[in-house]
Amino acid sequence: MWRTRLHFLFLFAGVAIAVLLGIHMVTLHLDAILGFFGVNAADPTGWLSMIGRASQGVWASLYIALLAFVLYHALYGLRGVILEVTTSVRTERVITRVFIGVGILAFIWGSYVPVALLSS
Amino acid sequence: MTEVSPEQVTFKIQRYNPEGGSPPHLQEFTVPASKGMTVLDGLIYIKENLDSTLAFRTSCRMAICGSCGMLINNYPHLACHTQIEELKSNTLTIKSLPNMPIIKDLVADLTPLFDNHKLVKPYIIRQDSGEMENPTAEFTQPPQELNTFLQFAYCIKCGICVSACPTSASDELFLGPQALAQCYRYCADGRDEGQLERFPVVDTDHGAWRCHLAGACSEACPKGLDPALAIQLLKRQLASQAFGLRKKQAPSTVASPPTETEPKVPFPEFTAKSSK
Amino acid sequence: MKQITHRRNYLGAGGWVWAGNYQMERYLYLLHRVTGLGILLFGLIHLTMTTFFRIQGQDIWEATMTVLSNPWFKFGEYLVAVAFVYHASNGLRLILQELGFVLGKPTPPIYPYKDALRKKRPWTIAMVAVIVILAGVFLFDFTIGGW
Repeated sequence: MWRTRLHFLFLFAGVAIAVLLGIHMVTLHLDAILGFFGVNAADPTGWLSMIGRASQGVWASLYIALLAFVLYHALYGLRGVILEVTTSVRTERVITRVFIGVGILAFIWGSYVPVALLSS
Repeated sequence: MTEVSPEQVTFKIQRYNPEGGSPPHLQEFTVPASKGMTVLDGLIYIKENLDSTLAFRTSCRMAICGSCGMLINNYPHLACHTQIEELKSNTLTIKSLPNMPIIKDLVADLTPLFDNHKLVKPYIIRQDSGEMENPTAEFTQPPQELNTFLQFAYCIKCGICVSACPTSASDELFLGPQALAQCYRYCADGRDEGQLERFPVVDTDHGAWRCHLAGACSEACPKGLDPALAIQLLKRQLASQAFGLRKKQAPSTVASPPTETEPKVPFPEFTAKSSK
Repeated sequence: MKQITHRRNYLGAGGWVWAGNYQMERYLYLLHRVTGLGILLFGLIHLTMTTFFRIQGQDIWEATMTVLSNPWFKFGEYLVAVAFVYHASNGLRLILQELGFVLGKPTPPIYPYKDALRKKRPWTIAMVAVIVILAGVFLFDFTIGGW
């Protein structure tokens, strides 16, 4: 039943992304709307604002968690789409292994940066 | 009584001869259509009067055998169950059901459908093999329990749901909505104990989790079966099993033998005497 | 007798896009797939930007931001935001419906047939309405904030 459990992790990751990415979207890209609620974020994508967030553990944890969930959800979903167009079992196995490898590497690299910036 | 002249309807039918070597192409026929005439009536008219080489499947002509599934004006229908009038068009384009190999003209090869159906073990499985091999009596089933899966038992195996499914369009190894719905029909049956035998068949890379709830199967089903609902309920059962939440229900018992009863009213004597 | 091979008749991946005059939920599925792949592509670029370009210091970061404040990129950003809202909302609907929570119980099929998804369609339309409203709200944000 491990495929069912993997699928559930995919669904849980989806919900987690909806929450974490929602926070990310509102704070970074929807600053004009935040302005209506009285929160004045000065240019959230500017260097100073970005470095300010990068030195806070909360934001670094949020980004690392978001990265983990996004990588799992995206690669599982893409693997599902590819599996629907291939019939060769060997291709499926290769795709699965490549995606696991790419996911792990991307996670290691992607989480190194917020940790490095945290201490700078 | 005034004579109602039949309207001329153009039937554009996909022709394909496996021995001919040419790809499928459309051939036009003109059929006099009257009120109440079904697409199947039109096809039979063509075969009897215009071109006897036209091949299509038909049997009951009342939407119960599942033989005449075809793609009519870009939507899968049962030809016997579709009135020409309801299509609101003077031109009907009729092709073989998609996502199934074509044998000839409008005859699709339903073998992949039946093979997938067999894979999900569509029969009652009990642990007591003695009772299965040599049944002593029927299994009991209260009506409320029957209603939890009766809707899905009406499947006529026409293959229309498989033609409608977007996953079946690209994934040849996908079990298909028909097999998955029938898997749920048996797993939900109180008389059955074979869930653990069926779950490994549907918990695969091309099983229940490749269904994405497009809902086209339920929309197109000519018997109102709602295979999409069955598949989602099957997913719930798979999830319950995977996380150890499945309640172990005792399966139905064998019916007890009828008890002897006294007749309430004595059987009357015959009043008519036989003549000697 | 010569063995006749049956002709393949799969619609292929084109069958995801168009297979006939189906109803709403089939196209919601297609849009869910398209937005998912779109967000994935954006995510790859975004991950590169927030790792390689972020770690190289202020000058590179601000140069990147200047390039990305081009109206075409801002429009792309808007599309990604709307795609995310659609994918998340439809995804939540799918999670609830795929586990059979909100689809109701099996009912005897009495003509005219109404399948479970069709019965719950008012909720699906409400979800689409919310997405359209949010897309309008985001457009407001991007036009007064971003250009």
